[in-house]
Amino acid sequence: MKPATLRPFLPRPAIRRRGLIHRNYAVQAPGNPTLQVFDRHAKYLQKERAAANVERSRQVDYLKDEVALRLTERLLDINRTFNHVLDLGANACNIARAVTLPDPDIDPSKPTSPPLSSRIAHLTAADSSRAMLYRDADLPFNQEINLTREVLDDEERLPFEGNTFDAVLSSLSMHWINDLPSVLAQINHVLKPDAPFMAAMFGGDTLFELRTSLQLADQERRGGVSPHVSPLADVRDMGGLLQKAGFKMLTVDVDDIIVDFPDTFALMQDLQAMGESNAVLGREAGPIKKDVLLANEGIYRELHGNEDGTIPATFRMIYMIGWKEGPNQSQPLPRGSGQINIKDILGGGEVK
Amino acid sequence: MPSRTRPIEKFAQAVAKCSTEASLYGKCIVADYNSVHKDQCLTEFLRLKRCYMAAAKKT
Repeated sequence: MKPATLRPFLPRPAIRRRGLIHRNYAVQAPGNPTLQVFDRHAKYLQKERAAANVERSRQVDYLKDEVALRLTERLLDINRTFNHVLDLGANACNIARAVTLPDPDIDPSKPTSPPLSSRIAHLTAADSSRAMLYRDADLPFNQEINLTREVLDDEERLPFEGNTFDAVLSSLSMHWINDLPSVLAQINHVLKPDAPFMAAMFGGDTLFELRTSLQLADQERRGGVSPHVSPLADVRDMGGLLQKAGFKMLTVDVDDIIVDFPDTFALMQDLQAMGESNAVLGREAGPIKKDVLLANEGIYRELHGNEDGTIPATFRMIYMIGWKEGPNQSQPLPRGSGQINIKDILGGGEVK
Repeated sequence: MPSRTRPIEKFAQAVAKCSTEASLYGKCIVADYNSVHKDQCLTEFLRLKRCYMAAAKKT
């Protein structure tokens, strides 16, 4: 027996609308992420505010400069000249500064190589924070490279045409992006075929010391926790994400930078001056309570502190390289097709 | 550097004078950090806070 149906009693339009629903697939509209983690506007304000204090902001550039250097070093391995390079999320153009440094090759046995900027015809530095982007616009390194600054409305929507860039770099900015899959796909779109994308971002265990001690302090002082340190992408996730965005020949690796600070307040002040303070949606309004800060200082030092009285802060960098698919691109060999035992080359597992 | 001392710096200076109390409080938490509940180390915390208040007044 047929189950009872309301269909004959429904007005006509309702029936027709149902038919329409059946024909549609569930598609996620581009640029409309289902999951919002970060408050992008708060992040913008933090960066603007941080860059407003130029001197202090330059003082805390040690991390961004170092990572930009380590990232651009990888450009040395690509034997090419780049016509047009995009630096996405440029902060204070740290990448531009890094590529203008003389002799980027750290190996002293090799002959000195010219600065990387000699191989980059045009660098576009894009960031949503105007104050941060133009902070160092009158420094001498600007003359050594053909640099264009571009203020983006939103780093999650790239305003560039497809097939524009010969390389896209991004240093310490992608950890604030909500919809990473979409941004990676857009990057892949703006790259020319067979062009590399290289990025460095904070990952997984970054600031785990601060995360854990603030959690304990929150828990003991107030009986609950609230997010103080961002959730971050894991190394394993990045490979999958890059692959999903259509990148080929992926390389993902990690690198820990551990910075010692005199106390937790110095660490938090530096993070703030970098424009890297908390911007997680659902964070508490206002500053952290004094009681929690006080408790945090004691716990951090006890749980993670160094013997000499300083406290370590770990920054785990994820470096990734992916290539846009192109004709005549070298392909990885199929799994299991290797003919040479790598142990024979490296010498029986002995590290020399 | 800005000439005036930021409140957080004053705070940090005062807390730095209470390292013994801070360490005692930290030890109390770390002793059993898998099941921390509210006011677990209240006495240690109050001692730390009292020390901090005294140090903050002096500066």
